[in-house]
Amino acid sequence: MTQPIPRAQSAVAERLAEIVGERHVLSRQSELLVYNSDGLPGYRRQPSLAVFPGNRDETIAIVRLLADEGLSFVPRGAGTGLSGGALADDIVIIGLHRLKKIISLDVANRRATVEPGVVNLRLNKYVAPHGLLYAPDPSSEAACTIGGNVAENAGGPHCLKYGVTLNHVLAMTVILPSGEIVELGSKIGERDGYDLRGAFIGSEGCFGIALDITLKLTPKPQAVRTLLADFMSVNEAARVTSGIIASGIVPAALEFMDGPTIRVVESSIYAAGYPKDAEAILLIELDGLEAGVTADLEAVRQICLDGGARNVKVARDDAERMKLWQGRKKAFGAMGRLAPHLIVQDAVIPRTRLPEILETIHAISEKYRVVVCNVFHAGDGNLHPNIAYSADDPDESERVHKAMTEIMRACIDAGGSITGEHGVGLDKMGYMEAIFSENSLNAMCELRGVFDPDRRANPGKVVPIHACKEWNAVASARAGGGVVREPRPLEAEPAHPAAT
Amino acid sequence: MTAGRPVRASRNLSLRDDAGVVSYVPGDLTLTVRAGTPLSEIERVTREHDQWLPLDPYGSNDGTIGATIATASAGPLASHFGLPRDLVLGLEFVNGRGDVVRAGGKVVKNVAGFDLSRLLTGSWGSLGVITEVTLRLYARPQIDRSVVVRLEGSEKESTAFLHAFLTSPLSPFSVELLSASAARPLDLGSSQVCLVRFGGNAAAVDMQLRALSSIARSEEVDTGVWDKLRSLENDAEGVMRISGPPAMFRGVSVHMLFDEFPWMAEYINPVRGVLRLIVHAHDDATADDESLLGVDPAFVGVVFETLPSRVWQDLPSAVSDALSQRIKRAYDPNNVLNPGILGD
Repeated sequence: MTQPIPRAQSAVAERLAEIVGERHVLSRQSELLVYNSDGLPGYRRQPSLAVFPGNRDETIAIVRLLADEGLSFVPRGAGTGLSGGALADDIVIIGLHRLKKIISLDVANRRATVEPGVVNLRLNKYVAPHGLLYAPDPSSEAACTIGGNVAENAGGPHCLKYGVTLNHVLAMTVILPSGEIVELGSKIGERDGYDLRGAFIGSEGCFGIALDITLKLTPKPQAVRTLLADFMSVNEAARVTSGIIASGIVPAALEFMDGPTIRVVESSIYAAGYPKDAEAILLIELDGLEAGVTADLEAVRQICLDGGARNVKVARDDAERMKLWQGRKKAFGAMGRLAPHLIVQDAVIPRTRLPEILETIHAISEKYRVVVCNVFHAGDGNLHPNIAYSADDPDESERVHKAMTEIMRACIDAGGSITGEHGVGLDKMGYMEAIFSENSLNAMCELRGVFDPDRRANPGKVVPIHACKEWNAVASARAGGGVVREPRPLEAEPAHPAAT
Repeated sequence: MTAGRPVRASRNLSLRDDAGVVSYVPGDLTLTVRAGTPLSEIERVTREHDQWLPLDPYGSNDGTIGATIATASAGPLASHFGLPRDLVLGLEFVNGRGDVVRAGGKVVKNVAGFDLSRLLTGSWGSLGVITEVTLRLYARPQIDRSVVVRLEGSEKESTAFLHAFLTSPLSPFSVELLSASAARPLDLGSSQVCLVRFGGNAAAVDMQLRALSSIARSEEVDTGVWDKLRSLENDAEGVMRISGPPAMFRGVSVHMLFDEFPWMAEYINPVRGVLRLIVHAHDDATADDESLLGVDPAFVGVVFETLPSRVWQDLPSAVSDALSQRIKRAYDPNNVLNPGILGD
């Protein structure tokens, strides 16, 4: 069923088509359906328009046109986000996946400059022949874009040793929502002044669009060893995690998967050969100089065995290593076999609280009769409890949401954070006031107001509007589709059957 | 903390007394302290648990953590462990209106909200007074050894050595090239030297020491040399930091390490790509510092860390761009916090 397009909107669509060509502007409801969600199936927002610039100049022209018209927009990469951050509620989506040029590679200085639409894994493949890699490796690396990684300050399993996106971005050219272009950070050396580069990273599309990003590359380690340790209790695996960290060894990655997750993965096409009867496995990777890795490997093996590991297997070659990782990286995907919807959390807790929190999560899951699968970055305390369920079942939905809310509360009470790498987006806005004071939220609003005084870039995300003391509600009601709405309450996100 | 900068303030707000550990859970490798806590205290507290904060800014350990973070001061360990902005997990600050704001958190991964920790780090107290900092710690290395390589051969030979060393898989904690005028006070001889620090488990350190000695003659030195190096600039009249692409530094470092003037010392971290020029008071006012370097200023970043007060007003402000000005106005509308410290 096609709906008539509002007049003002079709005028804007026409002007956008003049910039990018008709083919790259979507205005029909049916065409825009594909863009009404990101990686989290629980949220759907229908955009008014979607435009896909093919190069930097088109991107600039689009942002400036929207600025002239006073229209709000949402920058979007591959749409793999897990916080509802790339959803546009009746406003324009600017899709950046066509900006996929690797602009330059400087092997001697170990840096690369890329457009925002470059896929993370593709960058890695491009630099690999030079003995380099780009360290931040979110599990969605095969699809997610560098621009998206910058917006969320993405992490991934290897950030335990190598750091997150923030630690790998040297500079960016950014277009502000006003259309002004600024250089953040420094491509050629260190400079005094405010770390605007750092302020922009993790700003979730609310501060503008990065037109190009200069990244630090890392030399490939001399040696890599991957171990799989399996346990008959979650508690033992959690304690071994603490033990490894406490020993001073910094693994390149330390991932945890519990029994329910193992069984889901092993019955999917992503089966990695994990022992199906284990209650927990740790996937541990060590890298660095050959001599050092060999020594660390023995130490880690011993810590695992002393801590109750049933078996410790070391991958014999690259193929075995890739297989072990495949099971971990595709775990969320494997969950899709269980039920149509997936809810996933991203809380971080102090590592020493891991055994206790996992027990708490287990108790909560029993209380609400839901199955919580835990697959996460144990090394840095970044949990990913996830539940597959049917959003069409209101009773199950309610139990699932209550369980997740209680789990989040437990993590906050343990001194943790509400999001380690997925971002706040829409999904976690409701928790912001639980961890930040009024003054702190206001300071964030003020920063946002500096980059985007008219609040047109990804409005309604990250910081609840009512926390912004200076924000004038009247300013939000500009004509032409730039309406900023308070996002709907999080706890009871109603099921949205896929539109037909 | 003003480093001679022209701050137009009539009053000083000292945070020396707001010191002490707020929370330290060794198992989490995180530490929260009040801003007035000296680095030496952090060192003492963490050493008890075989841990450390690998942040060794030039100067001394008497400086406070608050000042270290506010000035984003780093030292030789930065090329391996990161800059201050990479070590801060969260902080508390008081803005120019007197509001207490908390940024970040206490855990090692955190993307909740906009990154005010990064904004405040290196802001020289002009956006807020940092009152508390949460830092990420590391376990102390099992083995921590340092060696010195004397660069006594030709410039070509030394450059070749440097290139081979720095493009190898070796992963030192610190590498500093010192001019003779820097090496002498450290009792490292009277020629230019390359000072290297290796840390980690015994196997890794042994392997690296052997690898290094296979490409150059090296001699072990006490790890205390690093503290002495850091304190060389304590009485300097001027300190300048020139930074650029590491590959460029690999090529020209040795050339830059001359020692024509006894009142000027240099050290270069070729991994980070930073040259530090230390100038002590002298009578020869005719020397043109920049021309001595043979490095094109268009290709490098230049930061003045310490200068005689009279010189600051001639330099451009680091925060004159529109965005920075708007941030300053938002966080400190009445300009009470260190007005003028960043040349504004």
